[in-house]
Amino acid sequence: MTDDQRRIRRWRFSFPHLSRFALEHLLLLPLGAAVALVWANVRPESYYRVTYAIAFAVNDVAMVFFFALMTKEVVEATAPGGVLHPGRRAWPPVVASIGATVVPALLYFRAIDVLEEPMLSVGWPVSFATDLAFGYFIARVIFGLHPAIPFLILLAIASDLLGFLALALFNPLQELHLAAGALIMAVAIGLAFALRRAGVRSFWPYLIVAGSVSWFALFWSGLHPALALVPILPFLPHAARDPGFFVDARPSARDALSQFEVFWRYPVQLTLFFFGLVNAGVPLRALEPGTWALPIAVIIGKPIGVLLGVGAALAAGLHLPHKVGWRELIVVSFTAAIGFTFGLFIGTALLPAGQLRSETSMGVLLSLIGAPLAFVAAKLLRVGRFGR
Amino acid sequence: MTNSRYRIVAALILAAALAAADLLAQAAPLPNRADSLKFAAIGDNGTGDRPQYEVAQQMTKVHATFPFDLVIMLGDNMYGGQSPSDYVKKFEQPYAALLAAGVKFQASIGNHDRPDQVSYKPYNMNGQRYYTYARNNVRFFALDSNQMDQRQLQWIDTSLKNAREDWKICYFHHPLYSNAARHGAAIDLRVLLEPIFVRNGVNVVFSGHDHVYERIKPQKGIYYFVSGAGGQLRKGNMDPSDETAASFDRDQSFMAVEVAGSEMYFESISRTGQIVDSGVIRRQTRTND
Repeated sequence: MTDDQRRIRRWRFSFPHLSRFALEHLLLLPLGAAVALVWANVRPESYYRVTYAIAFAVNDVAMVFFFALMTKEVVEATAPGGVLHPGRRAWPPVVASIGATVVPALLYFRAIDVLEEPMLSVGWPVSFATDLAFGYFIARVIFGLHPAIPFLILLAIASDLLGFLALALFNPLQELHLAAGALIMAVAIGLAFALRRAGVRSFWPYLIVAGSVSWFALFWSGLHPALALVPILPFLPHAARDPGFFVDARPSARDALSQFEVFWRYPVQLTLFFFGLVNAGVPLRALEPGTWALPIAVIIGKPIGVLLGVGAALAAGLHLPHKVGWRELIVVSFTAAIGFTFGLFIGTALLPAGQLRSETSMGVLLSLIGAPLAFVAAKLLRVGRFGR
Repeated sequence: MTNSRYRIVAALILAAALAAADLLAQAAPLPNRADSLKFAAIGDNGTGDRPQYEVAQQMTKVHATFPFDLVIMLGDNMYGGQSPSDYVKKFEQPYAALLAAGVKFQASIGNHDRPDQVSYKPYNMNGQRYYTYARNNVRFFALDSNQMDQRQLQWIDTSLKNAREDWKICYFHHPLYSNAARHGAAIDLRVLLEPIFVRNGVNVVFSGHDHVYERIKPQKGIYYFVSGAGGQLRKGNMDPSDETAASFDRDQSFMAVEVAGSEMYFESISRTGQIVDSGVIRRQTRTND
């Protein structure tokens, strides 16, 4: 079989699955963002009236289920056979995530100084964000099934967790009541634990009882309530083995976690449409040069940060996965520069209405440049499907 | 007389006429009453360049005859570097004469300002992003339009409701109405703030951000001014609409304002001292008056 034949076969093998994945997971958010961009610039007054009215319901309530589904992927991926199992595989990308967050943040501060918009400094945690679903899709198209994929997923999860931590600790406008929140959260987790011990197999009691208390705990403490189901989902009974990252559960699956996914899969896609609609509407005339600070920081900073982080991990005696070298890491790091969903989420949680939010949201949209750059890098470096 | 002599004489007559017109325009006085509140407004001023210094000189000249003791700053108080030496070059030096005369500056912050400007003593913000103070029969509200969070919205709503002064004047960086081509109106903020302003009887709003001067026709009973050419200038950037009452985009400018009883007099004065717009606003009657 020639190289060309092999390449075509690989395309044929992976494309139906990926195109379905794109259709089900990646279409509605960009559609919502595109509608928002047009609407905010053509009829801004009606755009803001509508989106301000539904922002809380979308960002603070409905997005709970998006993060729950993301958590579900992680919970399953840490099960035996999962891409994140065993845990020691996680260390190199986790160490790399420190570089992948610190370097873009430092570059971001420098960029807003050079671009003369220092007021944007409050938005630095946005530079931590990496979109899981988009990054996964781009990496799968480039690499197919390759050890670089779990590396990217772990890198993204660790970076986003650091982003959420930064959002919680360095949000200048949010007053925190952590002690009271922690107490209520302990009750929520206790309830989830009790439901699991009682052998409850339906996801609804976990959602309604423990999930509601968890939402209130986060809301009360000043943290973002959209993460309410993140500490609850691990208590849902789930299959012993991982079906694969972003592989949809079968409708016939009996375990609570799979049933949860089957029920919420499509409502979450609708949520993502509204999430894009509410948060991506940017009046283009409001933009100043500072808008470029974020894309510059992540496009330059992520590759440098990942390579430095991996260098540190190797120096500390950790090992990269088989078949993952510096060339693969460069491609992975451009993919990791895409902030999209997570970037918009952190940006809107951090910045209230006004020019700073508009510039940050547009910066997040511009970080999508990471996708074509990943393809260009893969082609130049002969990585993945572009390899010999 | 040769043709060239005619031309010289004609040019001299024209120059004299222009000078006289300029003098007359400069002479158009604010009432300058003893017991009135007099203040100036500047926006987008802190470049440290020559035009900023020339506007500041013009302000000093006006101060000699119109002794305002307050300057409201409409944001972008400083561009570029904001080290201690920049504070000298871009604020303390250009306005040295006014500062020496005891004129108080009350700043709001723009997108080019550093967040720590709120703690710079001569800006009199006392570490607050948004704050209020009263002078004579006027209550001022300086807002942070960079980040219009819920707490600030609740604060302005309550503070406006509780204000007992005759006049309520708000100022902040991003204009709710503007017809400059570069930025235009911040409609995301207008949707949030305008209902609060209307509900609580705000009289006048001053903003900067667009580097021009514009007076907007009253919108839902409120007068809006854009005065964002205190140092910066975007020449020819005005794109007047039906909303525009007057505008000036040929040179840097600042505003001189006098509140006397139930009337507010204003002048927009260019870097060269020309009065480019002037008028009087009668205080709007409110339902709770």
